[in-house]
Amino acid sequence: MTQFLQQLINGLSIGSVYALMAVGYSLVYSIMNFSNFAHGGVIMLGAYFGYYYLTAAGLPFPAAFIGAALTTCLLAVIIERGAYKPLRERKAPFLYFIISAMGTSIFLENMVIATIGPTFRSYPEVLSRTPIQIGSVSVGRLDLTMFFISAICLALLVFFIDHTKMGKAIQATAYNIKASALMGINTDLVIIVVFALGGFFAGIAGVLFGMKYTVYPQIGIITNKSFIAAVFGGLGSLPGAVIGSILLGIIETITSGYFSSQYRDLIAFVLLIAVLVFKPSGLMGKVTEDKA
Amino acid sequence: MYKKSLALLLVSLMILTLALSGCSKPATETGSEGGGEEEATAADEIIKVGWMGSLTGDQAVWGQCELNTVKMLFEEINAEGGVLDGKKLEVIGYDTKGDPQEAVNVAKRLTGQDKVVAIIGPNASGNAIPIAPVLEEAKVPDIATVATNPKVTVLDGKVKPFNFRVCFIDPYQGAVAAGYGYDVLGFRKAAILYDIADDYSQGLTEFFEEFFISKGGTIVAKEAFKFGDVDFRPQLSKIKEANPDVLFLPVFFKEAALIANQARELGITVPLMGGDGLPSEQLFTMAKDAVQGTYIVNHVDYDDPEVQDLKTRYRNKYGKEMELNGYLAHDAVVLLIDAIERAGVADSVKITEALETADVQGVTGRIKIGKDTHNPEGKEAAIVKIEGDRYVFQQKYSAQLD
Repeated sequence: MTQFLQQLINGLSIGSVYALMAVGYSLVYSIMNFSNFAHGGVIMLGAYFGYYYLTAAGLPFPAAFIGAALTTCLLAVIIERGAYKPLRERKAPFLYFIISAMGTSIFLENMVIATIGPTFRSYPEVLSRTPIQIGSVSVGRLDLTMFFISAICLALLVFFIDHTKMGKAIQATAYNIKASALMGINTDLVIIVVFALGGFFAGIAGVLFGMKYTVYPQIGIITNKSFIAAVFGGLGSLPGAVIGSILLGIIETITSGYFSSQYRDLIAFVLLIAVLVFKPSGLMGKVTEDKA
Repeated sequence: MYKKSLALLLVSLMILTLALSGCSKPATETGSEGGGEEEATAADEIIKVGWMGSLTGDQAVWGQCELNTVKMLFEEINAEGGVLDGKKLEVIGYDTKGDPQEAVNVAKRLTGQDKVVAIIGPNASGNAIPIAPVLEEAKVPDIATVATNPKVTVLDGKVKPFNFRVCFIDPYQGAVAAGYGYDVLGFRKAAILYDIADDYSQGLTEFFEEFFISKGGTIVAKEAFKFGDVDFRPQLSKIKEANPDVLFLPVFFKEAALIANQARELGITVPLMGGDGLPSEQLFTMAKDAVQGTYIVNHVDYDDPEVQDLKTRYRNKYGKEMELNGYLAHDAVVLLIDAIERAGVADSVKITEALETADVQGVTGRIKIGKDTHNPEGKEAAIVKIEGDRYVFQQKYSAQLD
């Protein structure tokens, strides 16, 4: 029982990390119908910004945290203007967006290797590493923090989307971008806001990530898993991204805990494929013809 | 029609030049101070030596240290009059990005285009294994630095004619870890957490398991992860339940550091043990508190008076601590220079012959190349223990392989 509870907590904490990142993928997908693979690079930079705001600039943690999120927010918008807008204006096929996104991701990783260097950097200890013991189950302080920050951010996001004018505009644009433009919605602005939101989340995920797993140029690789989680939950659906992520986290930990860690990815992904075979749009995705 | 085929020809020529020049940029540097243009008369007095390894990617820290070490040593040798009565050494280094495919390309480029007499590196077994056919075709010898997988020099019981190395091999490393852990430290129940996608990690796991069980110990948990993973808590929670005496980590420092941190968070307090993938200054940056008391099977005793001079020279020149790979790169250079001097001529085949009978003293121990294995025979391992931010030497330990 202890073992099961511990694994469940492990799964929840891994899942909440996936969720923070998966939301960024889903937001962009819902509007633009393509998978923004540059997201991983932005998360990685978020981790570096947070690190430097804390150490080199000597900012207190909350300031560094928000600062990193705002910087990546700006960065995501710059990437949108530089790498995607020109394609959009030329009405390029969606495949080109994906390739442009992959290029940006590789560019960001190599830029960091070339300028900052390939070495690992550790965040100063903001939170104690000693876990909280509940019975015989140990819960990391950082994991709890991550879980709550993710939950708060996601709740705020849902509120923003459901109850503000801009949020409604995002929903309308997600439903049909051309019709929304005809109805007088500034879809260009909507796209900027969506990228800014995605960037903000990437910054938050990056800092939390850096604190947990140290900072290095390849840290963006982990977003592969969260992308898969987003597809599993239904690309374009925010609740889907969250539920998909948490489920993937739990499936992974339970397979390694009770079956075999050697077969973890094998079993976890066979399950995912099975879900997609029966429900191609993911658990909560909207039904569309075009999934890229 | 004529115009069209001309255009086609031009395009294909352009593609060809692109393909030729599109390979990785050489990190070439002449050993001579100042690094300026050599005079035309001295051009044939230069002996070109290749280096390959990771300058980017996960193991870039190690690769950069290797190349730096080789550059520094060549500069020193050149300043003292070079080799073979005044010939200067030059190193041409390329990045393998830790990718086997890229390693083969680099080997082709070094042998075919740069015409090097010998190659030093790479450090990773996965990259050192696939380059053998290229070496055999070009008849250029390679001295691997920290590539410990048996298949680097011997395949199917036959020695690869142009592959050599200066480090001990994984069965030996596994036997030393198992023997020291069981006999000296008294561990009886071991848990293993290894990388299922890595040659080095799999090999070391296999040999550790075999020797530990043959000693009478039990493996109470054997868990795997995959390259790129950063969270190991599911596996560690399972390992915790199995209650081992020691957690054996046949992995590289990045994973080791993350595993150590997470293991301590989950309340696993047993000592950790690992192979030569662990020692790095980076380990302390990432997980200083969590890795205290870890035992490591290493190639070199950092406190040995013999290595202090090399350490200081490196620190003075580059302002950083030397990584483990630097010591083995140093020994590869020593071995190569000895072979060049004994060959009496900068010819790759003659150098290969000389390497087969080499017997030199390096900073990591005596390197006596075995003719049938191309490995340094009977080289002792140094057991080190992490205390504070230092690798404290425990003892030299050698194990019997069958």
